[in-house]
Amino acid sequence: MLAARLLALLLVLGLAVTTALAQDMRLGKLLIDGEDWELVSEGHTFSEGPAADTQGNLYFTDTFRSKIHRVKPDGTVEVFVDGSGGTNGLMFGPDGRLYGCQNKKERIVAFDSAGQESVIAEGVRSNDLVVMSSGAIYFTDPPNDQVWYISPQGEKRVVDRGMTYPNGLILSPDEGTLIVVDMKSENLFAFRVESNGDLAFKQPFWTMRTAADKSDCGADGMTVDAEGRLYVATQLGLQVMDTEGRLGGIIRKPQEAWLANVCFGGPNFDTLFVTCTNRVYKRKVNAQGVRYARPARGDSAGGG
Amino acid sequence: MKSDVLRRAVGIPTLCFLVLVATAGQAADDYELGPDSKRQDGVPEGKVTKHQWTSPRAFRGTERDYWVYVPKQYDGKTPACVMVFQDGGAYVDNEKSFRVPIVFDNLIHKQEMPVTVGVFINPGVIPAASENQAPRRNRSFEYDSLTPQYADFVLKEILPEVGKQLNLTDKPEERAICGISSGGICAWTVAWERPEAFRKVLSHVGSFTNIRGGHVYPALIRKTERKPIRVLLQDGSGDLDNAHGSWPLANQQMAAALEFAGYDHQFVYGDGGHNGKHGGAILPDSLRWLWKDVVEARTAQVAR
Repeated sequence: MLAARLLALLLVLGLAVTTALAQDMRLGKLLIDGEDWELVSEGHTFSEGPAADTQGNLYFTDTFRSKIHRVKPDGTVEVFVDGSGGTNGLMFGPDGRLYGCQNKKERIVAFDSAGQESVIAEGVRSNDLVVMSSGAIYFTDPPNDQVWYISPQGEKRVVDRGMTYPNGLILSPDEGTLIVVDMKSENLFAFRVESNGDLAFKQPFWTMRTAADKSDCGADGMTVDAEGRLYVATQLGLQVMDTEGRLGGIIRKPQEAWLANVCFGGPNFDTLFVTCTNRVYKRKVNAQGVRYARPARGDSAGGG
Repeated sequence: MKSDVLRRAVGIPTLCFLVLVATAGQAADDYELGPDSKRQDGVPEGKVTKHQWTSPRAFRGTERDYWVYVPKQYDGKTPACVMVFQDGGAYVDNEKSFRVPIVFDNLIHKQEMPVTVGVFINPGVIPAASENQAPRRNRSFEYDSLTPQYADFVLKEILPEVGKQLNLTDKPEERAICGISSGGICAWTVAWERPEAFRKVLSHVGSFTNIRGGHVYPALIRKTERKPIRVLLQDGSGDLDNAHGSWPLANQQMAAALEFAGYDHQFVYGDGGHNGKHGGAILPDSLRWLWKDVVEARTAQVAR
């Protein structure tokens, strides 16, 4: 009798565990009761390119005004660069410099801690970029439907063509998969990152939800958490996708305006920052962002 | 989050209740395999071989294992019927829930299903480019997408390869496809997209939920001219309820739509969870029903 009871209990527990695993992606596990979007900064024209440094500062661009702003850990907002050349997407590199898509001047640049810029590449159109732990860069070139690669030695070349409008892009935590938003379709494309920077096995692996009257997702920038989940800024909200390519849910936008980009920041790297046209907002969640770092030999995959 | 709190609050009493019910001899999901799922004396055993496939086109870059079962009664003269299984490694395993080779041996021996070659295909994986990186698991993309891509993979890549060594039927009534969970909706999608190639479907705890939009099938079935598909769906009241949907409700919606549209179908609804226990227990009966018309036609042919 006892054995039968134990067996039944194990069966029920087994079922509960299976169910819990299958429900891993629900928003209820990600969102925190009582946490909502909180205003970080306002009065901008078109905010973009959120990026967090290791000291707890958050940077973002005001593309039309050619400014880069810095939000300090105490919440004060200051101008970091005035005259950024229309810089759009931003991301910190392994050298601590802030890399940016300086589209008006057709350059990829890097800003040091004093805001002094260095040119990384010239003669290229760009929107958003991602910097690897090796210092290599991928960036999107929407006017020409291309994705570019800049090697750690600074050589640039086109590595993908043919999306309708490549926009935001990000790497999986282990840097083995590049994910690119195709803004004027409903897809995110996955590529395997080859050791020489080439992209292989392109696949429309994630399908966004689109508004009822739209065939394109209007997805812009995105970020990734330590579990490999993607957070995609779309016009329906922040769409959260899992590593199997499934939509887990949509976090509502902080306001009815173009949601351009998202990154993790904050002292514990567990706060989403979004740029939404004239305003920047933040929201704490049950997830942690990723800083790309090659795992030391023997370490498990996935920086964080 | 409210529902989580509620679930926690009722968790312990529910467990106790279930244990009480279980000890009274009414445990949910207590399905057992019958004699047709066990080795029987004097029944000839078919042969199972294991193979690997790298997809050149349909899912380019994916690698996977597949197995081929050839019954002892296969003579190479008469084209054999074909049954394809998603998550093939689970279905071909004679220690797990389904034990298809044993069931096929028994039913083919008793002439309760035709001489059938089983093709057991695992989902694809794009291997990582280097160690410390995660492979791209293609299962959800292949199984949950409402496109003909998986059907074309089976029809243009796997079956021609298997057909190099074996005389396989090309009659749609003599081709069946089966799967569990996402593999179940995949089986339906293959027949729905390519009824000229596959007309028999067996789904175990099928994911007719919104993983990648599959929840729309009941609506599509009701408003689309009936397709010549014979289908058996199995599900249980203890199946999943998560962000993608409620499996029990989704399968009931499917059954109601199939009934409404006049499909040749069976719906077997039990009290099991998201596993193969119930599906495995009823597999011999499911196959007898699914293949009945072919057995009758082939018997009539012999009599003539």
